[in-house]
Amino acid sequence: MLKYSLKRLAQSLVTLFIIVTIVFLLMRLMPEEGYFGQAYEKLDEAQREAILAGMGLRDPIHIQLMNFYKSILSGDLGVSNIYRPKVPIAEILKAKIPYSLYFGLTAVGISLVFGVSLGIIMARSKSKIWDKLGTGYIVFINAVPAAVYYLFIQLYLTDVFKIPMLFKPDVPASWILPAISMSLGGTASYAMWMRRYMVDELNKDYVRLARAKGLRNKAIMVKHVFRNAFVPMAQYLPSTILYTIAGSIYIESLYSIPGMGGLLVDVIQRQDNTVVQALVLIYSSIGIIGLFLGDILMALFDPRINLHKKGGAR
Amino acid sequence: MEDSKVILSVKDLVVKFKLRGRILTAIREASLDLYEGESLAIVGESGSGKSVFTKTFMGLLDANGWVDSGSIMFEGQDLAKYKTENDWIKIRGKKIAMVFQDPMTSLNPLKTIGKQVQEAVELHQGLKKEEAKKAVIEILRDVGISEPERRYKQYPHEFSGGMRQRVVIAIAVACKPRILICDEPTTALDVTIQAQILNLLKRLKEKYNLTTIYITHDLGVVANVADRIAVMYAGDIIEIGKCEEVFYNPQHPYTWALLSSLPQLGIKGKPLHSIKGTPPNLFYDIKGDAFAPRNPKALKIDFVEKPPYFTVSPTHKAKTWLLDPRAPKVEPPESIAILRKQWGLNKDE
Amino acid sequence: MSNKKINKVADGITENLFEFAEFDESEAQRAGYSNYSYWRSTWQVFIKNRVAFFCLILMIVLVTFTIIQPYLPNQKLPTKIYIDEKTNMQLRNHPPDAEFWFGTNSIGQDLWSRIWSGTRTSLLIGLAVAIWEAVVGIAVGALWGYVRALDRPITEIYNVLDNIPVTIVLILMTYILRPSMTTMIIAMCITGWLAMARFVRNLIVIIRDREYNLASKCLGTPTSRIITKNLLPYLVSVIMLRMALAIPAAIGYEVFLTYIGLGLPVSIPSLGNLINEGRALMMVPSLRYQLIFPAIVLSMITISFYVMGNAFADAADPRNHV
Repeated sequence: MLKYSLKRLAQSLVTLFIIVTIVFLLMRLMPEEGYFGQAYEKLDEAQREAILAGMGLRDPIHIQLMNFYKSILSGDLGVSNIYRPKVPIAEILKAKIPYSLYFGLTAVGISLVFGVSLGIIMARSKSKIWDKLGTGYIVFINAVPAAVYYLFIQLYLTDVFKIPMLFKPDVPASWILPAISMSLGGTASYAMWMRRYMVDELNKDYVRLARAKGLRNKAIMVKHVFRNAFVPMAQYLPSTILYTIAGSIYIESLYSIPGMGGLLVDVIQRQDNTVVQALVLIYSSIGIIGLFLGDILMALFDPRINLHKKGGAR
Repeated sequence: MEDSKVILSVKDLVVKFKLRGRILTAIREASLDLYEGESLAIVGESGSGKSVFTKTFMGLLDANGWVDSGSIMFEGQDLAKYKTENDWIKIRGKKIAMVFQDPMTSLNPLKTIGKQVQEAVELHQGLKKEEAKKAVIEILRDVGISEPERRYKQYPHEFSGGMRQRVVIAIAVACKPRILICDEPTTALDVTIQAQILNLLKRLKEKYNLTTIYITHDLGVVANVADRIAVMYAGDIIEIGKCEEVFYNPQHPYTWALLSSLPQLGIKGKPLHSIKGTPPNLFYDIKGDAFAPRNPKALKIDFVEKPPYFTVSPTHKAKTWLLDPRAPKVEPPESIAILRKQWGLNKDE
Repeated sequence: MSNKKINKVADGITENLFEFAEFDESEAQRAGYSNYSYWRSTWQVFIKNRVAFFCLILMIVLVTFTIIQPYLPNQKLPTKIYIDEKTNMQLRNHPPDAEFWFGTNSIGQDLWSRIWSGTRTSLLIGLAVAIWEAVVGIAVGALWGYVRALDRPITEIYNVLDNIPVTIVLILMTYILRPSMTTMIIAMCITGWLAMARFVRNLIVIIRDREYNLASKCLGTPTSRIITKNLLPYLVSVIMLRMALAIPAAIGYEVFLTYIGLGLPVSIPSLGNLINEGRALMMVPSLRYQLIFPAIVLSMITISFYVMGNAFADAADPRNHV
C-alpha cells in the first residue's frame, strides 16, 4: 500500500512537471498584446521590446524555463498586467479561491450523496419506474450541453422560487442554485456508475453464495454488494472534481460569483496572459491531485490493487 | 439403507424460464426421493438441468425462472410453494446448504475469509463476535486449513484454489445443515486436489450426519463418493438406482451411451463411441422420450408418449419403453454387455 | 405402481408402436440449428428499442432537412439583414410569424435560416471531429494494443495526457490560436482521439490473446480474415458508439467555448453562437424564443445521437441477441 502510494505520487509529480512545462511552452505562443492591454497601441516598438525584456520574455527559452520553475516553486505566480495591473496574481487569487472552493466542494458533496443514492435506487428497481426516470435524467445531463441547461435553470427556477439571479454573498438563497447546478453533472455520473457496478456485482457468484448461506437480501446489499460496488467508484471522485471545475468556470460567470472560474473567463476576454497562465496551471494541478487521491482511495478499499493491475482502468 | 427415511421428496417438478421473450422448460416432470444419510450423485451433460433442479430446493433460481408445477416435500412443507424471502430464510444454510463450483468467484474478494465464514456462524449458530471467531477457527482447522488463526485475516486471492474450496465447504458446513448439495465441487480443481476435497466431504458427511447430493458430469467422482446415482437428461431423471446397479446394469439407452462413451470402456482397436447429435432444444415442447432422436434403436412409441418409470429392482428404475413387456429385446452396446456380464458374475458370488 | 400406469397409458397404444422407428441422423442435429447473423441480430435488437429507433428516424429527417433547406423555395439567407420597407429600419427582434418562421434576431436576421445554417456548422464540426477521432484513435489504439513493445511507452504518455483537463486544453488552444472554425476543430481533435485510442487498445488487447483468435491462427486463417471476421465486429460497435457520442460532445464544447468568448465569430452562425445571442436577451420574456428555438434543436440533436450511440452499443453486444 505504501509502495503503491509512493509510486503514484512520483507519477503525479512527473505528470505535473510535464504539464507545467507544456503550459509554459504554450504560453510563449500567446499573442503579445496580452502583456500590455490598452497600452499596446500607445507604445512604440522599442518601448514594447523593453517592457517584454524586463519581464524576461526575450531571454532564451531554456533560461525562461528555469526562471519559470524557480518562481513557481517559490510560490510566485507572476503579476497581472491587464486585469489588475501590477498586482501579484497570488494576491488576486487569495480572495477568489474561497468561493470556488466552497462551491466546488459543496457540489462534489451533493453529487456524491445524491448520485450514489440514485444509483442504488436504480439498481434495486432495475427496469422499473425509478430506473427509467434515472436513466432519463442521466441521458439528458450527458447529452445536452451543460451550458444549455445551466441557462434554463437560471432562467426559470429563479422565477419559480423567487431567488435572485445573481450571486450575492449576503443573500443565502442565492447560494443554492449555483451549487445545485454544479452538482448535476456529477450526480448523473455517480448514479450511472453506481447502478452499473451494483448490477454487475449482483450477478456475481459470491452474491449467490451469500444468498445460499441464508443472508437476507438487505444484508447482502449492504454488506457485500454496496461495499464492493463502491470501490471502483472511488476512482471517479477525481473526475467529478474535474467536471465540477469545468462547470464552475461557466457557472461562476453565469451567476457572477467572484471565484476563480469567473476570473478565468474575465481574463480570457481581456487577454491577460499571465493570469491565464497561472489559472491554467492551478486547474491542471487540481486535476492531477484529484486523480492521485482517487487512486489512493481505491487502493485503500481494494486489497488487490497494485500498480500494474490498474493500467487503463479508467 | 432401504429402511431409511425419505427426507426430501420431489414429484413431477416442472421448472420454466423466460428467456429473451420465449419460455424454456428446464425441468420436465422430474421426481426424486432423497433418503436420510445417503450420498446421491446426479450426473448428466451440461444443460441437462442438474444445477437448476437442486437450486429449486433452496429458492436460488434466477429471477427469470419459476416452479411451474410439481411438489418438493421437505420436513412436511412443500418448498415448491415457497415464494418470499421469509420462507426461504428458514431453509437456506440452516437446513440445506450448497457448495458451488468455482471457488475463485464464490468468495467476496474484498472481505477476509474469516469474516465470510463468521457470517455463516453468527447467522446459524447464534454466536457473537469472540465466540464466533473461535468457532470459525475451529471449523477452518476442521476442513484442513493449517494455521487458521493467521489465515482468518487473509483475503481470498491469497489462497489457492483447493484452499478456497475448503473455505466454501467450511461456510456450508458451519450452518450445520441436514442436506449438503455440492454443485460440481471439484470440476475447477486439479486432479490431485480433487481427491483431497472429496475425502474431506466424505469425512464431514460422517462427522455431521449430512445427506449429500453431488452434481457432476465426472463419473470417476461418482464412483468415489456416491451410494446412488440419478442420471439426468433434458430436464428429467431418466434412470436412478444404486451405484453398482446403474454402472453394471444400465437400462436406459442414454445411460448406455453415456457409459460407452467413457474412454476406459473403449475396446482397443475400435473407434471410441460417441453419441450422435445434440441435446434437444428446450424451448420446444418435447413429445415422448427426449433421447429418442439420438437413439438409433428408438421405438416408434418413443416419439409419441413419454415413458413412465419401469422398475428393475426395488432400488433401481428407469424411464424407458424398452422395459415395457411389449417391447422387443434390445442388446446394449458391446461395452455395456461386458459390464453386465461382470455384474452377473459378481451377483452370483 | 408402474403396472397400473402402463395399463392406463395402454389405452391409446397399439402393439405396432413397439416396433423400431427409423433413425434419422439429421433429426438428431435439428435441435442445434440456427441461422444466426450477427449484424442482422444487432439491427433487430436496435429496432426493438423504440426510443432509439425514433431518434434514428428523427436524425435522418433532421439531417436531410438541414442539407436541403437552402434549396427549398422561400428560404432566406442567414446573414442577410432584413429591412422594413416602410420605415427603412432593421427588422429587429421580430417574433415568429408567417414571413419569418422563427422570427428575427436583434439585428434583423432571419432566425429560421440561421438556425439551420448553424446546425449545419455544428454538425460539420462534430462530424469532422468524429472522423478524426476514428481515424487517429483507431490507428494509435491498434498499434498500442497490438505491438507489445509499444504498450508501456504509450501507456505512460496516455497517463500524462489523461490528467490534463480537456476544457483547459480547449481554452488554451483557442486562446492562443484565436477563435475560428479551424481552431475549434483542431482543438477538439487534439483532445478527442485519446478516449477512442484507449477503447480500441483495450479491446485489441483483450481480443488479441483470446483463444479463438489463437485457434484461427493455428488453422491457418489469413490475418486479413481474422481482422474482418473476428476483430472488426467487436471494434465497429465501439467505434460507432464513440463517434455517435463525439457529436454531442463537440457541440457541447462549442457552446461552452462560445460562452467564454472563444467561440466562432458571429459571422458564422453556429448553434453555440445562436444560444449565446439568445442568452443575451433572455431576460425579456417576449424575446425568449431566440434562446428556446436553438436550444430545442440542439437538444434534439444531442439527445438523439447519445441515445442512438448507446442503443447501438447495447444491440451490438451478443449477449443481448436473440
